Amino acid sequence: MNSLDPRVIRLPDIGEVGRINPKPALDQFGTYEVFVLPKEGKPFQHEGIVHAPNLEMAYVLAKETFTRRFTCASLYVVNTLDVFVSPLSEGNQNVYDQIPQILNQNSAKVNYEIYHLPKRGKQHVHVGRVSASSPEEAFSIAKEQFQKEKIVYNVWVIQSTAIRYTMNEEKDLWLTLPEKKFRDAAEYKGGEKLKEFLKKSKR
Amino acid sequence: MYGGGNTFEEVKTDSFSQEDPIKLAEFEARIERGEKIEPSDWMPQLYRKQLIRMIEQHGHSEIIGALPEGTWITRAPGFKRKMALMAKVQDEVGHAQLLYSAAETLGKSREQMIDDLITGKSKYSNIFNYPTFTWADCCFISWLVDAGAIVNQLANAKGSYGPYCRALDRICAEESFHLKYGHHCVIYLASGTQKQRDMFQEALNRWWPPMMHFFGPADKISIHTQVLMKWKVKMGTNDDMRNQFLDMYVPKIWELGFTIPDSQLKKNSETGRWEYTEPDWEEFKRVINGDGPCNKERLEVRRIAEERGKWVREAMKAPNQKYVSPLA
Repeated sequence: MNSLDPRVIRLPDIGEVGRINPKPALDQFGTYEVFVLPKEGKPFQHEGIVHAPNLEMAYVLAKETFTRRFTCASLYVVNTLDVFVSPLSEGNQNVYDQIPQILNQNSAKVNYEIYHLPKRGKQHVHVGRVSASSPEEAFSIAKEQFQKEKIVYNVWVIQSTAIRYTMNEEKDLWLTLPEKKFRDAAEYKGGEKLKEFLKKSKR
Repeated sequence: MYGGGNTFEEVKTDSFSQEDPIKLAEFEARIERGEKIEPSDWMPQLYRKQLIRMIEQHGHSEIIGALPEGTWITRAPGFKRKMALMAKVQDEVGHAQLLYSAAETLGKSREQMIDDLITGKSKYSNIFNYPTFTWADCCFISWLVDAGAIVNQLANAKGSYGPYCRALDRICAEESFHLKYGHHCVIYLASGTQKQRDMFQEALNRWWPPMMHFFGPADKISIHTQVLMKWKVKMGTNDDMRNQFLDMYVPKIWELGFTIPDSQLKKNSETGRWEYTEPDWEEFKRVINGDGPCNKERLEVRRIAEERGKWVREAMKAPNQKYVSPLA
């Protein structure tokens, strides 16, 4: 290939110029939802998704995609398929009003994490954990425990064991973030140099 | 960064009159109230289609936009500039990930988007079809192309589609670093040797016409564009965006003692609008349709990357996985 960039010239001939075979489904893998704890003492919040071949890779990619800057205390990921989603309400409707009561199921209980959407257009925020025998029951218990006066528009429920958490020994992943000044706008102050230049050019 | 001046598909102006009028009224009322539309909400076909097109184009522009700058990482002057440029290029590719995800919530798969980019079916910002001859070209992109992108992105972040707005909020936060970095680079060239000043002046001469193209041709105000504006898909006319960019950056370019290669360029003090030589829209059309200096190279680089990564993706595929679209 003719190019200004020698690295482009050196690219191997592979495939056919201008053609690509249509990708089969899942060529780009499934999706994983990413939650970030920006600071100790704040709740985890949903930040977006990554495509990954498995939970472990999703964790690595999430770290690169969502925590390159500012501060991060912790991060976790979960397969999109493992998130149970309530209906979405609007205006002054509280979505908890649409959730039926399903309680007292006698089978074994496990932990579920509960997330609220406090405002349309914002991110889901972690509000706490309940113990329930099914996701449906988890919604009902969440309604009892977490429904306050404030309107909730959407609720997510995730079984805790489905989540790939940050382990204690991994928390040092973000210790060096504040040192990476080259990613920080504040590091590029041109004001002094500019002033000096303007003074000189006036003379 | 990203190219503005989205070209919206012309559809028959009455194509949304076939939508359920009650649902349409609810949808419009929600936008009117300033609430965001979320993936699970009902939306008109036209809204979905235009958003996919716009967000996808934006994502492609991030990926392709990383190429003309990426080529300068190894040759950037000094360790600090290399680190910064590397971080910037990584950001751009990261932005594409965020944008593809937002488009995916509307029902187009990432596989399809990548294929459509490589086959030339989907477009990306025209400005990245031009070459970066010198370091100063790279600085022009970092400062002024990103500045143009921020004008567009800040406007679009006030749009109506929740996942796109959230992606843009993240993106704009990172772009502030790009803009400061780019301006820093140009200040250093401006206050450097005569050779450095000349180098930036030449880059400015080369990039000014594509920069004027960047925001797209003046919109024909049809019923169609009015609807898109009412639905907060399109947040301002292309001319408004261009004018805002000129307002913010022409004084900064002049301050550094550079000459913008357009003798007609001046602000009309009565209308408050900028006047300029009409950009060559024939060239714009020619380049966007594939006949620019770098179109072929950009797509080939992307295609070869895709072919070379294929075996890795194959090897990592989980056989029992199922696909669902992402949640938000």
